[in-house]
Amino acid sequence: MTNPTGDIRDQMQTLFRNVFVDDEIVLRDEMTAADVDGWDSLAHINLIIAVEKHFQIKFATAEISGLKSEGQNIGTFLALVQKKVSARK
Amino acid sequence: MLDAVSAFVSATGADRQKALRELLLLLKRMAASNPVEAAGVLRGLLVPDLDYSTVEALSRFYRSLSKRLGPQAATKKLAILGSFTTHQLASFIELYLFAMGLPVEVYEADYGLIQQEILDPSSGLYAFRPDILFLAPNRRSLGRRPANSDSPVRVDELVAEEVAAWSSLWHTAHDRLDCQIIQNNFDPPPSRSLSNHEMRHHAGLARFIARVNLALQDAAPPFVTIHDVDHLSAAAGRWTWGDDRFYFHAKMPCAPEFLAAYAHSVASIVAAAGGKAKKCLVLDLDNTLWGGVIGDDGIGGIRLGQGDAEGEAFVAMQHYVKDLANRGVILAVCSKNTDSIAREAFERHPEMVLKLEDIACFVANWDDKATNLRRIARQLEIGVDSLVFVDDNPVERALVRRLLPEVSVPELPEDPAGYILALDRHAYFQTISIGSEDLQRGAMYQANARRQQAELSCGNIDDFLKSLAMKARVEPVTRENIERVAQLISRSNQFNLTTRRHSAATVMKMAEDPAWLTMTISLADGFGDNGLISVLLAKVEAKELIIDTWLMSCRVLKRGVEAFVLNCLCRSARMRGCTAIRGEYIPTAKNALVNEHYPNLGFERVSGDPGGQTWWRLSLAGAADLPNFIQEIPSHD
Repeated sequence: MTNPTGDIRDQMQTLFRNVFVDDEIVLRDEMTAADVDGWDSLAHINLIIAVEKHFQIKFATAEISGLKSEGQNIGTFLALVQKKVSARK
Repeated sequence: MLDAVSAFVSATGADRQKALRELLLLLKRMAASNPVEAAGVLRGLLVPDLDYSTVEALSRFYRSLSKRLGPQAATKKLAILGSFTTHQLASFIELYLFAMGLPVEVYEADYGLIQQEILDPSSGLYAFRPDILFLAPNRRSLGRRPANSDSPVRVDELVAEEVAAWSSLWHTAHDRLDCQIIQNNFDPPPSRSLSNHEMRHHAGLARFIARVNLALQDAAPPFVTIHDVDHLSAAAGRWTWGDDRFYFHAKMPCAPEFLAAYAHSVASIVAAAGGKAKKCLVLDLDNTLWGGVIGDDGIGGIRLGQGDAEGEAFVAMQHYVKDLANRGVILAVCSKNTDSIAREAFERHPEMVLKLEDIACFVANWDDKATNLRRIARQLEIGVDSLVFVDDNPVERALVRRLLPEVSVPELPEDPAGYILALDRHAYFQTISIGSEDLQRGAMYQANARRQQAELSCGNIDDFLKSLAMKARVEPVTRENIERVAQLISRSNQFNLTTRRHSAATVMKMAEDPAWLTMTISLADGFGDNGLISVLLAKVEAKELIIDTWLMSCRVLKRGVEAFVLNCLCRSARMRGCTAIRGEYIPTAKNALVNEHYPNLGFERVSGDPGGQTWWRLSLAGAADLPNFIQEIPSHD
């Protein structure tokens, strides 16, 4: 499969809307898990699975837990995805 | 809606999520105005090999839809006890069971509480009182593991102890709940510390798990079905089956992508226990059993057999179908063809694996396939919802799905080399056990076809029945026949007066209770052995024999078996000092066949309710033996 085209932020926004079943979600860098309705541990796993599959990337075990921890937000999540997509070649 | 469905089904990669989104939007709109129709569309989408995100989204939609559908008659209560997080698995199992026509109510305990829930009589499990209990450990919860230094004798002991621990849990749960139990076996890890010698060394973990899995199968009583997780893991590929990241994070039992297959596999067993398994495989011919069109290409022109790769694929498909027939699946043909030309291929093509005598009902004509499928169900005296229809032509599949949504219609790939797996992965013909009756069923249906021929050549029905030289054996329910009895109880729909789906465990208790009378009838005739074909469960109360269950396999209809059974029943009732027999009829969508059963046998109506349920009584004082042509032969012991 070729690299997904289009902005990663847009694609991530669509994935968020699918996983949280909310078409109003607009991703902003400063958002955290607490700002998204229903971002519980199950939804978190669903999100990880959807993102991994869509971008054909893989998060490390520590990264999966890290995404919800102190100091992490949508901005750092997007940066991580961007890094993994670029490294994918 | 149909466009959105086909767009979704054919979409791949990133397009699939988009197509799913659009489809879900339409479905939600439809659910608001017509939830029943939306439920039908959803059922059609629920194939066994969905990816995680899709089945998750559909499961969420099902939860909102089921609220709109209102309280469905939950036909079974399913309890799930796991040593891992069962949350997603449970919701997927529930979703697939909805698709299989068996809505269930599910109870889950927190993970890791299998023993506590079963041993503590005040646990949530016993408050819930399930019909079916699914015990879901995985290899991480094996209670025992051999050390390399353990002696062979010690390893033998560990295997025995592991199995005894599970066996003890089964019996405790079953004594308290009378429920059917589904028990996971164990998936060996992909890593092998003894490398190539995992199976060779007496203390190898892979060897230990393989031995435990075999011993579990051997130790399982009739009320326990071992769910083969080991097979799921091997079929997925051990290296990809487990994704430890998701175990460490979320205690998921396997990689998320295989959860749908896992849930489907469990659901198929629950559905079989609930009487929802399929009975008959209906096959198209051209490009389904051979390559090409027999009417155009002729016997020499169709692709079938060695020397042609596709021809070999069709032979393999026929071998698979033949194996299904040999384990009791009824075969039928439904083909748009001239009858004589279609039959000629069976009679004359040297590479045909399937023979005409394998086919219980052969329909080749130019009528539409929905009409023909109804005809096949009628002729075989089974429900349309017991049929699986296999056809390479997407137009025929779409027509049958639309006109007969009760029929299961698997998608087939274009390449015939993919037919077997496409059909097999649905596990349509799942059973809770495999008994000798299953292995003989094909021969029984063939004998039935010969009987119908004989009936045609006999002018008078009495002459015909006499010519059958029927012999019946009457026996109580025993440990030897309980599997077949339980199977009849879970599967018989038409000749079934009360359709009470008692578990094997419940029936065994009745058999051991002196207040109960259990009776089974096995019937043989000049054309062959029909096996155990009728079951009666009745209880003595205040000098009356109350019939709880009376059912019979439809393949021995109109043979006078009912009269014979009643005579036996009267005899037993008198021996127990009864003065009357009471029966009841509970109408269902499928048992209109027996709504006049009791009056036909001379019972008098006692009462009825507006729902159509009726109660009947036969006084033993005046009851004389009813005439029939069945000779009783002594029981085995």
